[in-house]
Amino acid sequence: MKRRQFIGLFGASALGLVLPELALGEDRRRSSGSTTTTTTASSSLVPTDTGSVGSVVIVGGGMAGATAAKFLRLWGGSNVQVTLVDQNATYSSNIMSNLVLNGSTTMSQLTYNYNTLTSAYGVKFVQGSVVGVVPPVGSTAGSVRLADGRVLFGTKIILAPGIEFDDVPGLTPALQENYVPHAWRAGAQTTKLASQIRNMRAGGTFIMTIPASPYRCPPGPYERACVVADYLKRNKPGSRVIVLDANPFIQAERTNFERAFNVTHAGVIDYRPGQSLTGVTVSITGGKHAVTTSSGTEYADVLNVIPSHRAGKIITDNPVLANVGGRWAGVDVRSYESTSVPNVYVIGDSASSGQPKAGHIANQEAKLCADAIARALRGDLTPNPAPKTNSACYSPITADTASWLTVVYGYDAVNKKMVAVPGAGPIEAAAATQDNFNDMKKWFATLMSDSFA
Amino acid sequence: MYRLLTAASLAALLVYSQTASAAPPHPGRVLASNCFQCHGTDGRKGFEELAGKSASSIYQEMKEMQSKAADKNIMNAHARGYSDDEIRLIADYFSKVPH
Repeated sequence: MKRRQFIGLFGASALGLVLPELALGEDRRRSSGSTTTTTTASSSLVPTDTGSVGSVVIVGGGMAGATAAKFLRLWGGSNVQVTLVDQNATYSSNIMSNLVLNGSTTMSQLTYNYNTLTSAYGVKFVQGSVVGVVPPVGSTAGSVRLADGRVLFGTKIILAPGIEFDDVPGLTPALQENYVPHAWRAGAQTTKLASQIRNMRAGGTFIMTIPASPYRCPPGPYERACVVADYLKRNKPGSRVIVLDANPFIQAERTNFERAFNVTHAGVIDYRPGQSLTGVTVSITGGKHAVTTSSGTEYADVLNVIPSHRAGKIITDNPVLANVGGRWAGVDVRSYESTSVPNVYVIGDSASSGQPKAGHIANQEAKLCADAIARALRGDLTPNPAPKTNSACYSPITADTASWLTVVYGYDAVNKKMVAVPGAGPIEAAAATQDNFNDMKKWFATLMSDSFA
Repeated sequence: MYRLLTAASLAALLVYSQTASAAPPHPGRVLASNCFQCHGTDGRKGFEELAGKSASSIYQEMKEMQSKAADKNIMNAHARGYSDDEIRLIADYFSKVPH
């Protein structure tokens, strides 16, 4: 009977979180003593006793979630049980995925697994689709329910679901997969878009649309325009790249991208700011796709519509968590704890933190969160008085040159936001160079290693 | 060993000592983790290995980079984001990572 009530409560939460008071039940309390996490033997990398004791469930195995899992074990020690949940068995890196479009790399080369997190750090990885979250209350565990009925318990829950895409008039998921890929969540659509570009006729038109900020990876769309233009120049003479940007100006690395559009790729890239997308008409017979904005209609041989973004579904399904315009999760940037639901933390692209949505900074948000949780689990609730993060990224401008961008963020205690440290960015590279391109590869390899190995 | 640290840092260390039941973590650890993305976890790989380097050499390098043209090298830009106290904490952290 109690078991049925327990399921019933979770059933009520199928669309997301239930309120904490709904979640309080004897069965759940009893369950909290036997969390489902059974971590594997710790290696020497994980300290045996840091004083921290507890269990953490992390939803989402991207840059933020994977990093949090690793550092909770590294800093929390073997008495902090960590379960990482993702619907996929592997992670496909968004970073560098624009280089799939010019054939420099492949999605399989950009695929990462969780083997080191499990074997070297003792993280438990669970593949599954999350359908409900019950927040922990005090020392009583909360829970994460999976579509297959499994339930994971944690005294802290971290949500790192990345982004979700808004609907585009005229596009369905099937049309996106087969005809007009966004390729903005790296994977099959990235490979699809690469193949469309490879098969495009010389003298053809590639059109991409950029959503209004905030979106994932501020320099990314401009980088994509450059990489595609560079490829088309060499392989499909006479082709054009039209960039329809919903924003009033280039959102990142403006100097380098303006130079790229006006000099390096002059005559190929046609950049048009302030273009609000109103609809798409897909041709499924091999004809041109039509894309309509506030300024009129253009026709594309290959069309890449990047839809506008919002936080992951697990966030937006719960209005209490999605307390920034119903679209993003407000967080205390000293710990990344939700500003409305205690013991639930949101890191990475779903959080509204005053920082860009990108993998490098998601990694750092995860470390601040892991530090705060590891300390909380040994009774130290002192907020980090001066959290610091940094954003650094490299953007390819051609097949062998790149620029870079960096910002260091510090804590604005008055507005409780992260803000750029005066004088420390955004600062961009003086020029796109081959040295920067080589540094980009090293940066990427080291970053991925810091998150996944 | 902590003579480079400021009073504020030492106070932070004291707080850690009082609240943790096991050996407290270095007070510069989460700050130094800003470097891990490019220098590897605990500074053990990447662009330049920082693990086990002397605190004074890391401090000196960071101070020199702060004074060089920001757009010529990503670290010249990056170094500008950290105060003297923060650089000292970071440098002290890496100097104590077993190499």
